[in-house]
Amino acid sequence: MTIQLERDDIQGFVLSSYAHLPCANYLLLQITDPELARGWIKHFVSQITTAAKKQEGFSLNLAFTSTGLSKLGFTASELSTFSRSFAEGMISEHRSRILGDTDENKPESWDWGSADNSVDILLLVFAENENALDAQLSLRFGEIESCGGLRKVFALAAGRQADTKEHFGFEDGVGQPVIEGSGSELKQQTRTHHATIIKAGEFILGYENELDIRVALPEAREMPTFGRNGTYLVFRQMEQDVAKFWNYLRDITRRADGTSDDAALEYFAAKIVGRWKSGAPLTKYPNSDPHKNPTEKSNENDFEYHEQDQKGFGCPIGAHIRRTNPRDSLGPDPETALESAKRHRIIRRGRSYGSRIENRFVADGVPRGLNFICLNTDIERQFEFIQQTWVNNRTFAGLYDEVDPLIGKKDKDTGSFTVQNDPVRRRIHNIQDFVQIKGGAYFFMPGIEALRHLARFSVETDESEVAPSIEV
Amino acid sequence: MPQTILTFICEVNPDNLGRLTALLEQIQNNRDANPYIPFAALKSLHFASFVIHDDEDYGSKLIFENNFDGLIDDYLEELSRHAGTGLHEIYSCCSDYPASAYEKRTLVEYLGSKVVRPKAFHIGNVGRSAERIGRENILRLKIEEFLDKINPSDKSDTALGSLRSRIQTFTRNESSLDWAEEMQIRQTLMERIIPWVEIFAVGFGIFILMPVIIPLAIIWLMILRRKENRDADEFQNDFEFVAYDHIRGLVEREDRIVQNHLASITRVKPGWFRLVTLKLVLRLANLVARTSNKGELSGIPSIHFAHWSLIDKGQRLLFLSNYGGSWGSYLDDFIDKASLGLTAIWSNTSGFPPAKFLAFKGARDGPRFKSFARRSQTAAIVWYSAYPNLTVQNINNNSAIREDLYTALDDDASKEWLQRF
Repeated sequence: MTIQLERDDIQGFVLSSYAHLPCANYLLLQITDPELARGWIKHFVSQITTAAKKQEGFSLNLAFTSTGLSKLGFTASELSTFSRSFAEGMISEHRSRILGDTDENKPESWDWGSADNSVDILLLVFAENENALDAQLSLRFGEIESCGGLRKVFALAAGRQADTKEHFGFEDGVGQPVIEGSGSELKQQTRTHHATIIKAGEFILGYENELDIRVALPEAREMPTFGRNGTYLVFRQMEQDVAKFWNYLRDITRRADGTSDDAALEYFAAKIVGRWKSGAPLTKYPNSDPHKNPTEKSNENDFEYHEQDQKGFGCPIGAHIRRTNPRDSLGPDPETALESAKRHRIIRRGRSYGSRIENRFVADGVPRGLNFICLNTDIERQFEFIQQTWVNNRTFAGLYDEVDPLIGKKDKDTGSFTVQNDPVRRRIHNIQDFVQIKGGAYFFMPGIEALRHLARFSVETDESEVAPSIEV
Repeated sequence: MPQTILTFICEVNPDNLGRLTALLEQIQNNRDANPYIPFAALKSLHFASFVIHDDEDYGSKLIFENNFDGLIDDYLEELSRHAGTGLHEIYSCCSDYPASAYEKRTLVEYLGSKVVRPKAFHIGNVGRSAERIGRENILRLKIEEFLDKINPSDKSDTALGSLRSRIQTFTRNESSLDWAEEMQIRQTLMERIIPWVEIFAVGFGIFILMPVIIPLAIIWLMILRRKENRDADEFQNDFEFVAYDHIRGLVEREDRIVQNHLASITRVKPGWFRLVTLKLVLRLANLVARTSNKGELSGIPSIHFAHWSLIDKGQRLLFLSNYGGSWGSYLDDFIDKASLGLTAIWSNTSGFPPAKFLAFKGARDGPRFKSFARRSQTAAIVWYSAYPNLTVQNINNNSAIREDLYTALDDDASKEWLQRF
């Protein structure tokens, strides 16, 4: 397997999570004047961090929604060469249904990304410390101001976190596929004792994918290879109600005399996630967390379900990590299952935002959550598939009327969770939504050449050809 | 109890197309209590759909799909008893419907004359009647409730033997579950054996006729490859991805319940060669599908009812499927697990991605195959499912719960059984 990635042309964020840059801010911009915006892009392209080498101090990356591309001059027919999900956007009625963006998650009540508050450009800023981040931000804001043509909709801070746990308290980001040709196999293998290599075409356009084909590239006029070395970036701002999560668990695990049962509490929390708080997987450690010290962590990822945990006695069948990556567990044949699961993987690049809660049982009104970001080349077959066919599927893997207990959108019929056990399962009921969607959009993160092309993009002379916006 | 799968296909009077569409929309918007077809009253019905296929040279056709228990005469009787006047209203929009006022006999005779039986079909939950599927789910729900009250830390509560017998006592005491004691089989021994005998007979026939078949097959293969090469060139020149607007119209109706519906009409490639090949492939597929009794069709676990019919004097292939889960996962299963079989079928129809030796390549070209599938698809205006929250897997699990509820089981089998909850 020796494929050559065109690292000079690929944005750095695609191949790196920038772990050396713990502070980040995601700027969501709207284009008010396409001509001026193109000028800004032209100036900005040379500043963008590529995947060619690790950049110390800070990193900058850029992505566009379909409304953004449309304002910059893409015609409807050009946009129809992109993924349908991207072209239509995240907030169509059908998409809301399959993603679980209903009731309190409905796009109309989002802070950003709704029809009234749409965004065109995502500018990702990463820095090694708070000062460097502030310096970058004021520099970039200055440029945007002086250049004109752009308006800031929102700035999503993703500040330094004390550790790599997410806000509910679980070690996060353990499982991550290795992109073929990225050279990070050894690193992943060392860190997690496990590495699944996925073909580059699943995450970067222009390369062969897991179906052994190169899909048609998104096109722009005068540049039929516009999509080359680009990828789709899915952004979801997921607010986490930490106190709601732990209070729910404390209530359902209370002893008959009303006192709280800490062991049972931790047990059910781990069952919901599929890992103990340290990150240790339940499939390998079904009875208790091997790491008693809360600062210890485990990145163990060397397990499969078919041989080790078919019945779900360790990691329940409907647990969060089993739904989001069922590995070899779906269907009678583990090898076939693993092969098909490989076609539904994403690169996760999310970061937590907001301060850690002081007492996990006491709501403090501070907004906190995960700025979920993932990368894939086929939104329908990857991100949306995971969300619809695994996370929100009420009959996932033979279950009845339940969804992902952690992030699935529940309704009055789907608030239960089955914990398989010997001799018989336990169930918990009335699980609430602990996560609320506050914003989201599908972006396209082009390669460097494509960005250059975008900066000098000629607007079609025939005005009628220019799509004012994409109908949803 | 065996199931029947069929469609009624009628020509719509173009003047009435608008009226018919509006009427069907009205039914769809109120499936539970519309004045035309009280679906829930049709006890033998599993899935039904109304599709209007509108196309320049084939005309406007009303396709009424029915997947039901038992035989057609009883079903037509049930249908006309509960929905006679409603169906009269619907079929009054068709060009050759003879009655101006509702008459049961006329309707039944009319529908009887419009029956199209599939050339090949698959049934996920073989032998389970709609009523049985509903009841067995209630049984499971009751036992689930009972199990929820078990105290997990009380060892006497969760001891294996006593747990089973307590469940049995509980269900025996529920008079509404009396029916569960009655033994019911899915298929008779004969029903299970006959498909294998048929396959064996065909295999044997091929073996005997080998000297004749081999030269014929070689000639057939040579013709096929020539045609495939020509088709491939044509495809490369003409291919375009399906318009997003068309897909939007389809997905609007999808993913509202656990199952989805797919209606597809494609054109059989012109000439006798493709038609004969297609008929042979469908016959073979049907033979194989008859042996399926674990809920899977060539590795695909999610299909309740799927069927292929040749319509328009063999010029078109109609495919109707009622499947569990999302369109994306269904199509991915097609590509991952069943691409040979479905390429062998659809490569005989126009617009399908280029195939090699009938069954290879074709559907493996995921994006273009999906585009083909979407293009050929028409949204059903009315679609009804008798059990909207259950997958094939769920139904099989419910049946297994019921079948072993009162059976004497050893410890291992008891453990297995308890894991069904």
